[in-house]
Amino acid sequence: MTPSGTPSGTPFSGVGVGLRRPHLAQVAALKASPVPFWEIAPENVVGQGGTRHRQVMQILERDPVLTHGLSMSMGGFDAWERDVLDNLRGFLKATQSPWHSEHLCWSSFGGANTHELLPMPFTREAVQHSILRTRQLQAELPVPFLFENVSYYAELGAAEMSEKQFLAEVLEGADCGWLLDINNVYVNSRNHSFDAKEWLEGMPLHRVQQLHIAGHAWFEEDQLVIDTHGAPVIDPVIELMQWVLPRIGRAVPVLLERDNDIPALEELLAERAALQKAYDVALDPLSVSGPGSGGSSRG
Amino acid sequence: MVEPAERTSALQGCLADLLLDQDGHSLFGADPAAFGAARQLHMEDQAALAHYKSRLLTYRSLVRSALEDPLPDCFPFTHALLEKAGQWAACVDAFLGSRSIQSSYYRDVNPAFVAWLAQSGWGQDRWPFLLQLAHYEYIEVEILRWPDEAPQVDLGALPKADLYVVFDGTVRNLAYAYAVQDASGGNPEPDAGETYLLAYRDGAGDFQASTLSPHASAFLARCLEGERVGEAARALGLPLEDGLELLWSLHAKGAVLGFR
Repeated sequence: MTPSGTPSGTPFSGVGVGLRRPHLAQVAALKASPVPFWEIAPENVVGQGGTRHRQVMQILERDPVLTHGLSMSMGGFDAWERDVLDNLRGFLKATQSPWHSEHLCWSSFGGANTHELLPMPFTREAVQHSILRTRQLQAELPVPFLFENVSYYAELGAAEMSEKQFLAEVLEGADCGWLLDINNVYVNSRNHSFDAKEWLEGMPLHRVQQLHIAGHAWFEEDQLVIDTHGAPVIDPVIELMQWVLPRIGRAVPVLLERDNDIPALEELLAERAALQKAYDVALDPLSVSGPGSGGSSRG
Repeated sequence: MVEPAERTSALQGCLADLLLDQDGHSLFGADPAAFGAARQLHMEDQAALAHYKSRLLTYRSLVRSALEDPLPDCFPFTHALLEKAGQWAACVDAFLGSRSIQSSYYRDVNPAFVAWLAQSGWGQDRWPFLLQLAHYEYIEVEILRWPDEAPQVDLGALPKADLYVVFDGTVRNLAYAYAVQDASGGNPEPDAGETYLLAYRDGAGDFQASTLSPHASAFLARCLEGERVGEAARALGLPLEDGLELLWSLHAKGAVLGFR
């Protein structure tokens, strides 16, 4: 069972990589894609030109791509920016991305954009607001919409429910797909002292269409794990990915995100290859690293 | 139209104030509950603010960190100048506090910064060149990213008096009161002096800026406004040959696409 409007079978599987500026020239010069797919933020491409833009377009014409938005403020109150939506629609049609994803959070208020992924209140009112906004956004897009669970460092206001309940209710109420960010689950589990696997067990995993995986960092001063996307993925997060994949029961694509301290392409591709092995092991029914074993392909 | 969700909206507005207002840190840090009360939050939400005080303040740091990449990348010399003077953080704080970042496109942070400097005059009593320096730095980024245009057809390669000039879409005819193009990380304070530049993206996709004489700048301004080459030269009392030579040279560099 998949959410209504969500494609049940797409060619996207395996571990892809977020396409980033420092790698554009090198990737564009390759004869074939070094990854099963890339992920790209449409807002960083539309309405642009010049050398880097041409490199991006070369890559998008050659390789499969998924799209992922960064700053739609889908849980906010500001009106949708019409030109942004028009550009997004055009980009999604041109790239034939099978879906588009955004974060379930807010970024702007009163017209001022913080460009930060800010937490929703975990309240019944915010559930209804998020459902409404998700449906509005879905109605604007030519492809199914997925939302992503974010890292949150604080609850905004007095919670009436858990984050888990909040997300599940929005997913069901909006009847949309889920981009499960496995690193965000891990980061939240560390910062809010819960068990990540228990958290995942009760969630509507049938709605998961894609996974994100990334590195994070511990900040002593803040006593917080911050979702930096600035380091390699650590073993416990890989193990969590391996744990959840068989429970999803489909070879959904996993995307490796790296946005800070971006390494050389070769290094990033080596990390991708290691994640791909872990992915393959997790989805192999004969593997000892199947459900319940808690195995990892890394040390 | 989104239905009112007053509690959610009030909570988001409160956090936006904490993150963006220049006095957000001090006011919230002193008494989070009072900060919430001043924004009509429910009592239980005021208590939650107090409970999560340090972590909510972390978000304020994260918002500032999110500007650390785009701003110094686009404005390296402005950043170097203000960082050396210990004023960079104050500048970013004031910029955020103005709530000038409105677009959801991250790239629009850069022009919003220039527009804010122009509107607010921030720092320009001490550094009168600040706006012009930042503007020139932004122009380079804008030109490098400017959308590509469809190739023009039926253009001549030779400038003539009775022809119009077709410029590349990236061309900017700039005038400054400071030699902004000479600024560097080591010496980010440009000397005073009228400066005329023609900036554009060349055929290889690189940024170029040619220094112009005042006459050449005025001549190109007229051509950009749609005057024929001969008319523009005549209006300025400029020898036609000089204008033709300039246009020929700019055509060779890629700033001029051709003549029609």
